[in-house]
Amino acid sequence: MNHPMPRPSLWPTTAGLTRREIMRRAGLTVMGLGAAPSILAACGDDDDDAGSGNTSGGSAETSGTPAGTSGTAATTATTAGTTASTEGGAGGATGAINYLSWEGYDLPVESIEAFKSATGISINASYIANHDEIQAKITAGGDAAGYDLITYYQGYKPLYTELDILTPLDESKLPNLEGMLPFWGSAEQGFWIDDDGTRTGVPFTWGSIGLTYNSEETPELPSWYDLLDPSFKGRVGMVDDPAGNLALACKILSLKTNELPKDQMADVVELLEQFAAQTKGVAPSFGDMTSQLVSGEIVACFHGWAAMNSFAAAEGLTTVKTNLPSEGSHSFCDAYAIPPTTTNPDAAHAWINQSLDPTTNAEAAIYLVGAVTVADAVEQLDEATKALYPYEDLETLLEQAPLAINAPTESDEFVTFPEWLDAWQQIKAGV
Amino acid sequence: MAADQGGRLRLVASAPGPDVGPGSAGGDPIGATGRSTDRRRRPLFAAVPALVWMLLFFVLPLVVFAIYSVLTAGLYEVSTPLTLDPYRDAITDPLNRTLARNSVIVGVATATVCIAVGLPVAYWLRFAAGRWRLAVLFLITASMFASYLVRIYAWRSVLGSEGIINSGLVSLGLIDEPLSFLLYNRGAVVIALVHIFLPFVVLVLYAAMTPMSDGLLEAGRDLGAGSVMLWRRVVMPIMAAPCWNAFVFVFILSAADYVTPQFLGGREGTTLGVRIQAAFISVGNWPLAAATSFLMLGGFVLLHLAGSFVLRRLRLNDLRLAT
Repeated sequence: MNHPMPRPSLWPTTAGLTRREIMRRAGLTVMGLGAAPSILAACGDDDDDAGSGNTSGGSAETSGTPAGTSGTAATTATTAGTTASTEGGAGGATGAINYLSWEGYDLPVESIEAFKSATGISINASYIANHDEIQAKITAGGDAAGYDLITYYQGYKPLYTELDILTPLDESKLPNLEGMLPFWGSAEQGFWIDDDGTRTGVPFTWGSIGLTYNSEETPELPSWYDLLDPSFKGRVGMVDDPAGNLALACKILSLKTNELPKDQMADVVELLEQFAAQTKGVAPSFGDMTSQLVSGEIVACFHGWAAMNSFAAAEGLTTVKTNLPSEGSHSFCDAYAIPPTTTNPDAAHAWINQSLDPTTNAEAAIYLVGAVTVADAVEQLDEATKALYPYEDLETLLEQAPLAINAPTESDEFVTFPEWLDAWQQIKAGV
Repeated sequence: MAADQGGRLRLVASAPGPDVGPGSAGGDPIGATGRSTDRRRRPLFAAVPALVWMLLFFVLPLVVFAIYSVLTAGLYEVSTPLTLDPYRDAITDPLNRTLARNSVIVGVATATVCIAVGLPVAYWLRFAAGRWRLAVLFLITASMFASYLVRIYAWRSVLGSEGIINSGLVSLGLIDEPLSFLLYNRGAVVIALVHIFLPFVVLVLYAAMTPMSDGLLEAGRDLGAGSVMLWRRVVMPIMAAPCWNAFVFVFILSAADYVTPQFLGGREGTTLGVRIQAAFISVGNWPLAAATSFLMLGGFVLLHLAGSFVLRRLRLNDLRLAT
């Protein structure tokens, strides 16, 4: 199934100058060229350099060695699923992977440890606290850090395409793609596979947003609007996730996030204002919102997900539950990708391939309290993790909670993502 | 102010002032002048490492930052032509004005409380702590060992609905429902920031008081000054400049903070720093973020200059404890 992704006109880049280019030129300037004039002059003639991201992306694709020859990867793992990864193997890839993403997505699970031992691949992790740190760091000096592996939420695909953050992946080095569940292996809305067939990401974990609540304090709430009841004043949690909140508000109002007419943004803002008014403040992260649930500051979340049940239980509160309200919600999926800053694309490919090993995929889902993307991984889940999502009828779930796409980066007709971010800042501050 | 009889310590100023002056100080500013001369004699190269450091890691980034602030914004990129639009946008945005007001309120409140609490503590440490001085100084220093985030979360557990204060009040039967106004507002931000910055203020003010000898206060008492007058005419003039510097230090760090407001501030506690962070990281509008930062920087510089001007007018800017 391939739904071509709407591609509104994007920000012009021909006159653009990346921050690392500015810094490079500033450095040269300091060495005697005279600071401001040089940097400013550079802004006007940067066309060639602006495309360098693509070029390096291409080299990332071509510099790897053919996959499937080594058979050394994950040879110490014992399950049938792991055999699949040895077929793809690491192709002799080894060395360090500079990883930039969420803590936990570097998969500290048993089969990954075996993979690392077998291949000599290691992870230098830089963790983020906010998804936006990925594009901020890659565009502002990622070359120096040499990031090899990132993840992206599917809604960020247009933005990352615009910013040249995603390089084409070499599917010949990813034999485990064959084992994916049909939906996650498809080119769904171009989230992971472009219209021309170029793969830019490999989804390895996903989940659905729901209404998370403390069942000791409140019964199950069948509608998002139930949170607006005066009895919940000051007891509702809301997280600083502008993309997620926009997607959820649009879903509740039966609007499309990526085709939201500018004159309807006020409706979305008004709705979110109502929910925000029920909170004491916007939590900076899901972890922080979980802490608020555990400490009793809040009893329900406008925007939670099933993993919070486990996070809260780990902190001693076992009565947290998550349900899907009648208006529906949206789902999220995170995919591994290789940025143009990579210096070790072979190892990054090997890592991504290993993430699709059924055992690894299942262990990751258990660890992350999420869902799997690999068919054979389902049976390897423990009962609790398996019960989180209806694998026998994913279609229905994904109709009620579809994968959302962010607002476009530029459009005359629709609300753009920067416009939305501005509006979100005002909602957060109650202005 | 008359010098003590032993001549160990004198209060001198660069010009006559309302409370102290050359006439009362005995007209022999040798201590101050001598120190200035010593300072001039120090080899210049001693300052080179600091100078290079500041040039590379402060001045140069600031210059680059200034250039950013007048470039045309793209999405996570900048381009020509030069424009003042980022400054116009930053100034005219009503949200920025609201957040700037929040920042000023948080900064002034935090700095004021820090000085009001820190000055008496520093005075006590210098003149009355006796054998407790080292132990208390250690405790003050030790309070800085806990990480910034840990202290923020600690305050949440103190001020929260299920926190120590609310639980205590409920247990005592003084309230039926937890007090919700303790957390997620500007007051909670100020409390946490005071906790974070108070040790710095105490240490700075204590260091400024260290050269003040017991004899100076004794001289004041001998001349008939009571405690209030001693504070007003001896301690405060000497401590005015250090207090102002400590105030500005705390004000800048508090007003620019963007972490504590996110955890404790709720909607009314959001500050301009949060907006700048979002402009850099989430929105990708570097010129707007840089321009807003420079406007904040300009405000801080103006504040410092205004304070220094007032101190100079009051002849309190160059008081020295001559030995």
